[in-house]
Amino acid sequence: MTRLRKVLIANRGEIAVRIARACRELDIESVAVYSEADRAALHVRMADEAVAIGPAPSRESYLRIDRILDAARSRGADAVQPGYGFLAENAEFARACEDAGLVFIGPRSETIALMGEKTSARRLAVEAGVPVVPGTLEPVDDLEALRGEAERIGFPVMLKAAAGGGGKGLRLVPDAATLASAAERARSEALSAFGDGRLYLEKALVRPHHIEIQVLADHHGHAVHVFERECSIQRRHQKVIEESPSPFVTPELRERMGAQAVALVRKAGYRNAGTLEFLVDAGRNPYFLEMNTRLQVEHPVTEMVTGLDLVKLQIAIAQGERLPFAQEDLRQRGHAIECRVYAEDPAQGFLPSPGHLVALRAPSGPGVRDDSGVYEGGEVPIHYDPLISKLVVWGADRAEALARMQRAVSEYAVLGITTTLPFFDRVLRHPAFVAGDIDTGFIERHRSELFAPPAEDVREMAVIAAVVRAMRERASARAQPSAASGTGSAWRAQAWRDLGRPR
Amino acid sequence: MIYDAAVDGWTVRAEVRASGEGRYTVRLDGRTVEVDVHDAGPHAISMIADGRAYDAVVERRDGGYRVLLRGQAIEVALMEASRGAVAARRAAGGPARVQAPMPGKLVRVLVRAGEDVGAGQGLVVMEAMKMENEIRAPRAGRVKEAPVREGQAVETGALLVLLE
Repeated sequence: MTRLRKVLIANRGEIAVRIARACRELDIESVAVYSEADRAALHVRMADEAVAIGPAPSRESYLRIDRILDAARSRGADAVQPGYGFLAENAEFARACEDAGLVFIGPRSETIALMGEKTSARRLAVEAGVPVVPGTLEPVDDLEALRGEAERIGFPVMLKAAAGGGGKGLRLVPDAATLASAAERARSEALSAFGDGRLYLEKALVRPHHIEIQVLADHHGHAVHVFERECSIQRRHQKVIEESPSPFVTPELRERMGAQAVALVRKAGYRNAGTLEFLVDAGRNPYFLEMNTRLQVEHPVTEMVTGLDLVKLQIAIAQGERLPFAQEDLRQRGHAIECRVYAEDPAQGFLPSPGHLVALRAPSGPGVRDDSGVYEGGEVPIHYDPLISKLVVWGADRAEALARMQRAVSEYAVLGITTTLPFFDRVLRHPAFVAGDIDTGFIERHRSELFAPPAEDVREMAVIAAVVRAMRERASARAQPSAASGTGSAWRAQAWRDLGRPR
Repeated sequence: MIYDAAVDGWTVRAEVRASGEGRYTVRLDGRTVEVDVHDAGPHAISMIADGRAYDAVVERRDGGYRVLLRGQAIEVALMEASRGAVAARRAAGGPARVQAPMPGKLVRVLVRAGEDVGAGQGLVVMEAMKMENEIRAPRAGRVKEAPVREGQAVETGALLVLLE
């Protein structure tokens, strides 16, 4: 057993903050890395040590294996925690850590290569007896071959990045006519996100649920599943709201999917925390999609219903400890929901909205957890994923969790940038969401209600707040003629209004 | 003071006068609301109207305010009534300027000058925050100008396409 003393966090934003917190609780020193755009970022402030690793673009900083390893060496770190995104599922990075004598807090590099490459993971799943969505088991490079495979599987199909995750390089292709442009866009997005533009195809299921199983496996052949997360509320094929338990999953299905997940984890010789993503069709048939061989964005949902700390467990596993529980010791207790607070404007097709955080007031009170990566007065840089925080609540049952999340969202105030919070308020109050009637098409299907104008009384009081504020500002400007009258920052929303609204 | 206010296409005339310490009388299209207002920090204001409490967070924007209230973000366009109606700014017709909604890089320019486009048709593809976003035509028309090229970095508000 190796007791870790100093962990380098090869990430930024809320997940780097989350990991630094776990390290502090474990009395392990943490080393942050930061790009030129992130000198003042929260994750730097939360760490014990910090090292600059290059210019703002991630390809010149957070994706630079050499600079991150140099940082680890120069600070005497004995382990590297990659978080999610960036290099988290890069087998070359894991191998470079291993070669440098650093503990990589994750699976072995061969396992990342095996499971991180989505087509080989699908092949392994088939061998382990886990059903997969019909599709190509190999990446398909040329457009004609893609077209042939798509015709064989039958439209609609999903185009996916072989090295992908997080919705990047993913495109739904309804028919043959749109295949070429979708493939081009997906390839260029995959290339810029993962440095690997290879694509593969899968059949697109109708009204599927996106449900995933959390797993934990140690170095001693001990593997458990830690139940499911329902992740069907998605925009641009990226999750925005997650919950556990899933209102769609029956105890029988939970047990079946859990057993399949554990079978695949054993087959892969996996160790670390990990997540197996499934699509579940309307007949409650699960199909394995892919495995994420790292900490998942939405891991707090599982933490809230199980009482486990997955980040600390990752460290324990990396230290060679045995999992301190067996499958039968684990229970889901109550219900948890997570909303991913993005710096995006839902009304403009979820366009990113980077900028200065003029004001930030996070909710608190019973059952509320806010895993944030920003602070009031700070910046949301344009260069990275626009996730600023994950708001998570726990309740004794789904109804309580939902009411609590509605309450927490209404307390959350962010000024200076546009966020997804007001949109979440609409989703959380939508009768279909309240009833648990959710699948991956939810946002598209309910678009008109989700983007309806605000209720009359709220609208009126907003006008009253605005006119009273305007009058007060006028009065104080008159009282202090030297003070800037404050035209404020450009009303970007006005400019955006001139843009075409996405279909 | 008299203002013309617009929220999401709904317009209202609001007449406001101070009626005491922190107290205001607001007439909205003839209906009168007495409201007690207290600043709660630089952005938040606490309002009590007819016994009901409202906690709002208000941010100044060009041409109005953004108000966060009851979980919603409400853009209130505001203009002093003497300076002309808000509605005038919303006039349709004439050339349409399609501007960059955010700083970013242009990865594709899909149209050229002289080309006819339909409403909702993709004009350019911008990359920002690692996502590619298609900027679409707000209405049908002919491209008068597309003064941008692929690979170019643009700032917020940069003219991408001018439609006539």
